[in-house]
Amino acid sequence: MTEITFTFDGHKITAREGQSLAAALTEAGHRAFRETAKSADRGMFCGMGVCQECLVSVDGMPNLRACMSPVRNGMVVAKQAPFPEFSGAHVESSASKHLSPDVLVIGGGAGGLSAAITAARAGADVVVLDERKVAGGQYYKQSADGSILDAQQQEGAELLAAARASGAEILSGVELWGAFDPLLFLAQQGDTAIVARPKTAIVATGAYERPVMVPGWTLPGVMTTGAAQTLWRSYGTLPGKRIAVCGSGPLNLQVALELARGGADIVRLAERAPHPLKRPFASLKMGAAGASQTAKGVTMELALRRRGIDMRNACELVGVTQSGSELLATFRSAAGVEDTIGVDALCMNSGFEPQNEILRLLGAEMRYDPEMGTLRCHTDDTMHTNVSGLYAVGDCKGLGGAPAARQEGIIAGAHAATATGHGDAYDLFAARRALARHRRFQSCLWALYDIAPRNAATMPDDTLVCRCEELTIGDLRGGLEGRPGHAGTLKRSTRVGMGRCQGRYCGPVAARMVAEATGKPIEDLSFFAPRVPIKPVAISCILAAEEALDGEG
Amino acid sequence: MARADVLVIGGGVTGTLAAITLADAGASVTLIDAGVNAGSDANAGSLHVQMQSRFMRLYPDQVPNVEASLPFYRAAAEEWVRLDAVLGGVELVRNGGLMLAETPDQLAFLEHKADREAAQGLSVEVLDRTALDQIAPWLGPNIIGAELCRDEGKLNPLLANRLLRGRAEAAGVARITGKVDGLALTARGVEATTAEGPLQADQVIVAAAWGAGRLADGFGVSIPTRAEPLHMNITEPGAPSINHLVQHAERSITLKQFGSGQIVIGGGWPATYRGQTQPPLVRPASLLGNVALAAKLAPAISGLKVIRTWAGMNTTIDGASVIGALPGAERIVMAIPGDAGYTLGPMVGQMAASIALGAQTGFDSERFSPVRFAV
Ligand SMILES: Cc1cc2nc3c(=O)[nH]c(=O)nc-3n(C[C@H](O)[C@H](O)[C@H](O)COP(=O)(O)OP(=O)(O)OC[C@H]3O[C@@H](n4cnc5c(N)ncnc54)[C@H](O)[C@@H]3O)c2cc1C
Ligand SMILES: Cc1cc2nc3c(=O)[nH]c(=O)nc-3n(C[C@H](O)[C@H](O)[C@H](O)COP(=O)(O)OP(=O)(O)OC[C@H]3O[C@@H](n4cnc5c(N)ncnc54)[C@H](O)[C@@H]3O)c2cc1C
Ligand code: FES
Repeated sequence: MTEITFTFDGHKITAREGQSLAAALTEAGHRAFRETAKSADRGMFCGMGVCQECLVSVDGMPNLRACMSPVRNGMVVAKQAPFPEFSGAHVESSASKHLSPDVLVIGGGAGGLSAAITAARAGADVVVLDERKVAGGQYYKQSADGSILDAQQQEGAELLAAARASGAEILSGVELWGAFDPLLFLAQQGDTAIVARPKTAIVATGAYERPVMVPGWTLPGVMTTGAAQTLWRSYGTLPGKRIAVCGSGPLNLQVALELARGGADIVRLAERAPHPLKRPFASLKMGAAGASQTAKGVTMELALRRRGIDMRNACELVGVTQSGSELLATFRSAAGVEDTIGVDALCMNSGFEPQNEILRLLGAEMRYDPEMGTLRCHTDDTMHTNVSGLYAVGDCKGLGGAPAARQEGIIAGAHAATATGHGDAYDLFAARRALARHRRFQSCLWALYDIAPRNAATMPDDTLVCRCEELTIGDLRGGLEGRPGHAGTLKRSTRVGMGRCQGRYCGPVAARMVAEATGKPIEDLSFFAPRVPIKPVAISCILAAEEALDGEG
Repeated sequence: MARADVLVIGGGVTGTLAAITLADAGASVTLIDAGVNAGSDANAGSLHVQMQSRFMRLYPDQVPNVEASLPFYRAAAEEWVRLDAVLGGVELVRNGGLMLAETPDQLAFLEHKADREAAQGLSVEVLDRTALDQIAPWLGPNIIGAELCRDEGKLNPLLANRLLRGRAEAAGVARITGKVDGLALTARGVEATTAEGPLQADQVIVAAAWGAGRLADGFGVSIPTRAEPLHMNITEPGAPSINHLVQHAERSITLKQFGSGQIVIGGGWPATYRGQTQPPLVRPASLLGNVALAAKLAPAISGLKVIRTWAGMNTTIDGASVIGALPGAERIVMAIPGDAGYTLGPMVGQMAASIALGAQTGFDSERFSPVRFAV
């Protein structure tokens, strides 16, 4: 492996080629990547390009996401100041790429790759756009150097190889930032502006993680469980030595075990729900719905116990503080007993939020799912939305898991290909049956966990809710006094959700608070209005896209 | 509900100021607002005073009206300075506005415009590139000069809206959400029809922007209020560098930096209308064209990221505000600022309130009277 060096605020850092900047900095013991307008430190949180907290300046260019930027030899990296000087960047015409495939797949995870394979094999002209350096998505997260850690990564590598062999064109490192009616997409790949006008589009953008919002959850070193997993699986980096994992759901179990096997000292695994054995009926139901997956879960738990890991059920994180280089995490048991432990890193996952921005922008029909506390995109059984030519598969529709995403991908891929005159979408019986089975398992699985969104009323006033604008739940409570009829009104009066991440974490909380205060049921319109850009996009990229579209004539 | 002395229709900046003025004068005031597509909720907080070239180009026939309104614009900006103090700070900054020229023709146009504006009492000056470099070093190489209008400025409209609303509540204005479908004169006053039942008042102030024309129909006028969906962009924060409100002599753009460090780019690019009850839709061509233009005029900002765009509903009429009682109904007073309506809104609202109270407005209100739209 090639070693490279770069500097961070003058410190020399050695890293491995292919590592993300966030991984290299974490490995070197740096946690604080940027300073906020109110002088707080922030670091990597989501690890997947969503939270916009890992910003650093690289060679004088401000506000680059360390989690999405690869290290380069000799780069000069600095902690990001809140108000960077204008870089004075030169405006040059950049390259552009025009795509008009039969099927454009947005997101190259379990769902997207499966869709691409099916559509390409049917003879359709398929392009896959994926944001990460290597496609594969969250479940099949691939390593940067091509090494294979376990069966899950192996399965992903095979899926990726099949997608490449299918004839689908896979473009990685592409950030899609604009979606417009009728199926016009704008994206950026390095210096190249991409303009896509496909005949059909399959959205497969997956989900991001729901945090555990407690005082201190924004401290550097606190990150999502998936961020820690990405550090380890993609870059061979542990988030720290002493690690606690908390929240609810099977990902916490899995990642705790992966990190422990990687050499981390997992000092606490706190699950909010009671132990499954306390709910024998629900557990049996899950076992019946998916024997092999249930067995996998039991094996994981046994392996964790064998390692002597302190696993607690009905145990909740209540706060985090910083003490020197250590984080002090306080947990509360069902009996109300609190204890505090010192860790290097604290991982949290409390369920998932669908990345449905593209779907909502294009006007796809959304329905509220009270059990998951998220919107679900409504599709027919071909995975077609109510928007002509637009399909949706996988977790971006609402949580369903990777196996279900694969089956949905197969179904959507076949139908999109047929819609563009390729193949026939007849023989999908097996996929539909498998999908029904995976969905059954998922609903039994989540019944055992406790990911229902927390009641905002129980959160202490000083809990930060909007990371970007640095607003607390107390600030939002104050905003409710103006009796906003809609989350958008609360947004305008308090600035909640106006920052770089565009309300991805605070938005669901604000929507629920307003719905509760007004007594109106939650629906699509309860959430912040979807708007372009889907992710922050440099003015120079917009200029490049303008020139590209202009060139179309 | 109890009968109000005055019912104010529309809860944007104009209606809110009208309501505050009336309540402060001792009236019992109810404000009803439909809660959709308020320009006040979408606007960019530019305090416009000099003639906007976009407007002069789009509506040449309205230029005489705008020109005659210039002292009014200046007074409106002064009024915001007063409000800034009264409300405890709306991040108002009055460093002036620059209108950029890229060609000698454009510069000549600005010189001519500056002469006309100076004649109306505005503080204007045409600067060459050397002078510009002192105050706006971030400008791109194509800019050869600019007109500086010292009366112009900027403020934070979100903060202003919140403080104004709080001020109205404190003054005792009762605010309700609802849409008025029609107005009718009764023996004792005016009745407003709503889906939730009729509202009675002695007098009505119509500050309903794009919804105002329809409410005045049948009272001897036809006021051509037109909903104009407009596009806006905002960037992530940068170091405070842009002190002025920036426009262009020929092209549609406004650009400025808020106190938050964010740069707001707008200037009248169109959005797609989706009816009165839905916010307009962002058009890709406006996003691309508007931001690309900003990048060309100020390449220094091109490393910053745009974090959001939105579309909001502006209201245009004929280049001048509409303030005054309807010829067919003295009890109904119109309050529609027209272009640069956030700048003018407070003045317009207060003048309408004065008319309703039977007091002097301080301005020659004949010019703004709805009578000019008599049918
Ligand atoms: C951080 C994280 C870790 C997870 N780890 C596990 C695990 O270990 N085990 C498990 O069972 N489940 C895990 N899950 C849940 C699991 O990922 C999903 O159920 C599964 O991956 C869903 O497949 P998908 O195809 O819908 O989405 P994904 O596999 O997430 O694929 C979505 C893809 O779309 C791309 N994308 C998103 N937005 C854009 C955009 N605007 N432009 C371009 N590309 C875009 C992403 O880069 C990604 O590659 C994890 C989820 C997350 C968020
Ligand atoms: C994107 C954008 C940027 C702008 N930027 C600037 C700027 O920088 N500077 C500037 O000076 N101006 C700007 N403007 C113009 C300015 O925002 C408006 O002219 C101004 O806010 C109008 O204020 P108003 O109170 O008169 O009306 P509005 O704020 O439009 O409020 C009218 C209210 O009346 C309600 N209503 C309508 N009909 C009815 C009915 N029948 N019953 C009950 N309620 C009703 C509406 O729902 C609305 O809430 C901008 C406008 C837009 C759209
Ligand atoms: S950690 Fe990089 S965007 Fe969230």
